[in-house]
Amino acid sequence: MNEEIVSERRYSGAEYCALVQGLHHTYLAGTPLAATALSGAELRLRRGEIAALIGPSGAGKSTLVHFLNGLLRPTDKGRVIVFGQDTGEPSCDLTTLRRRVGLVFQYPHQQLFERYVGDDVAYGPRQLGLAGEELRERVRWAMEVVGLDFDSFVDRHTFSLSGGEMRRAALAGVLAMLPHLLVLDEATTGLDPRGRREVHALLRRLRDETGLTILLVSNDMDEVAELADHVTVLYEGRTVLAGEVHEVFAQRELLQRYGVACPAAGEIVSALREQGLPIAPGAITLAEAEEAIWQTMRP
Amino acid sequence: MANYEALRHLTIGQYIPTGSLIHRLDPRAKLVALGCFIVASVLAGKYANALLLLLLTVALVKLSRLHLRSMLATLTPVIPILLVMALLQLIFYGGASRSGGLNRLLVDWGPLHISGESVRVIVVTWARFATLFLLVTLLTSTTTASALTRGLEGVLRPLTRLRLPGHEIAMVGTIALRFLPILGEQLEAILQAQASRGVSETSSRWRFLDNARRMARMVVPLFVDAYHRAEELILAMQARCYHGGKGRTYLVSFTYRFSDYLAVALGALLVILVGVLQYSALP
Repeated sequence: MNEEIVSERRYSGAEYCALVQGLHHTYLAGTPLAATALSGAELRLRRGEIAALIGPSGAGKSTLVHFLNGLLRPTDKGRVIVFGQDTGEPSCDLTTLRRRVGLVFQYPHQQLFERYVGDDVAYGPRQLGLAGEELRERVRWAMEVVGLDFDSFVDRHTFSLSGGEMRRAALAGVLAMLPHLLVLDEATTGLDPRGRREVHALLRRLRDETGLTILLVSNDMDEVAELADHVTVLYEGRTVLAGEVHEVFAQRELLQRYGVACPAAGEIVSALREQGLPIAPGAITLAEAEEAIWQTMRP
Repeated sequence: MANYEALRHLTIGQYIPTGSLIHRLDPRAKLVALGCFIVASVLAGKYANALLLLLLTVALVKLSRLHLRSMLATLTPVIPILLVMALLQLIFYGGASRSGGLNRLLVDWGPLHISGESVRVIVVTWARFATLFLLVTLLTSTTTASALTRGLEGVLRPLTRLRLPGHEIAMVGTIALRFLPILGEQLEAILQAQASRGVSETSSRWRFLDNARRMARMVVPLFVDAYHRAEELILAMQARCYHGGKGRTYLVSFTYRFSDYLAVALGALLVILVGVLQYSALP
């Protein structure tokens, strides 16, 4: 990847690339169908981290995410600052904001709109002014990085893709714009286990190699435990818990109250501990659980 | 800033429970009364008649405890079309008699003839449009989809004698109505996804070619999605052994109550009243 982009992404600046404070939002305010989605949401995204946003369905996760690239803007209460821009200000430059914040939606078919996969992936970079060989290379890079073979997929019809392929194409379309912050709204649901592992590896690689900040919205706690550095828990539109991933998953009872399960590995360890086995608590991934159990078995 | 939420203001087809008297009417009675209202509205060609109907409709909306304002807000995008229509009618309708009265010529300048008659046509058209729109919105927001199907079916029942598939027609109609808000939400999601990928939203209202391209980008995913939904619906209906109206029984059976008879009677009275007013000497 381009050196320039990498250095720009790591440009010195505030520690947080996105800050959400006390955000409230009501859909269709002032109509009979008004529904409160957010009432006091908080979110902090550090540069270069993989963060996760979890919570039961209807907690307001997708709504919160829509604030990050200015699809929704704070009108009522709260502040949203993304890459130094306050999106509540009328002067906020939405075009720049949306270039920096790549949003991959929950349903990929809503995101694809060109006829051919290649054109769809090229759409974003074209808007950025790329053309010719440079554009082709960018599209090739984005498609290969998500695991879509350039030569066999570039001329496929977008709507003839399978669910998993659509997800990859949608992700490629966003990555092709080289965002600084990548937001994935349940973007690995519908992928098979192998596809999911590939996407996980890809996300880690992107973060490590290019300093991309990633926010995962996910219901898969194993995925969150595996990937995330920090976790924010949303419940009925409020942020109820936020912190380092081990800290958050250590609060089992609290999480249960908020309708969030712990990662399977964590559950296994606590079940074993309840049986009286002297296993160290705190494991949340399979590897960590394995290690903890191994430690107790060693003489 | 584009407000993507605006699409959700599409109120046709969205059931809004408030538990009002109108909500509790028998759907068949509601449909018959609505039919009467529509007939009356088509009959009404005079100021007094058209405005009377509009006022009655607004009263009904108030009675149903729905928001008049959010209903009318849905009409905003249609206003330019109405304006163009009004302008054309104003210029070309003509129909003036030089005898005076309401029909007198107001402006007579070169090829331009604006008569009292053309002003009347415009006012009546607008009032009729608003009335019909409010009535249909009223029907769909006070009646659940299943009640509406049952109502339509009940109204169409006499026609089954003529081998008209009443149940199926009712079902198709209801599904179509039910899909309207879903498509609205869908369109909103598509627009959001596209804006996130840098689809420009600053295009001017007058750049038709640009707008046509934007339209294609919106419509194609919308159609694909609608077809998917339709296929899923077919599967879901088959999985639950839906086989059309023949031999189908219902969980809830409707019986007419006093208020239902009243609604139908009032509807019929309205048609007569408007008819009489229309052909009387009133302006």
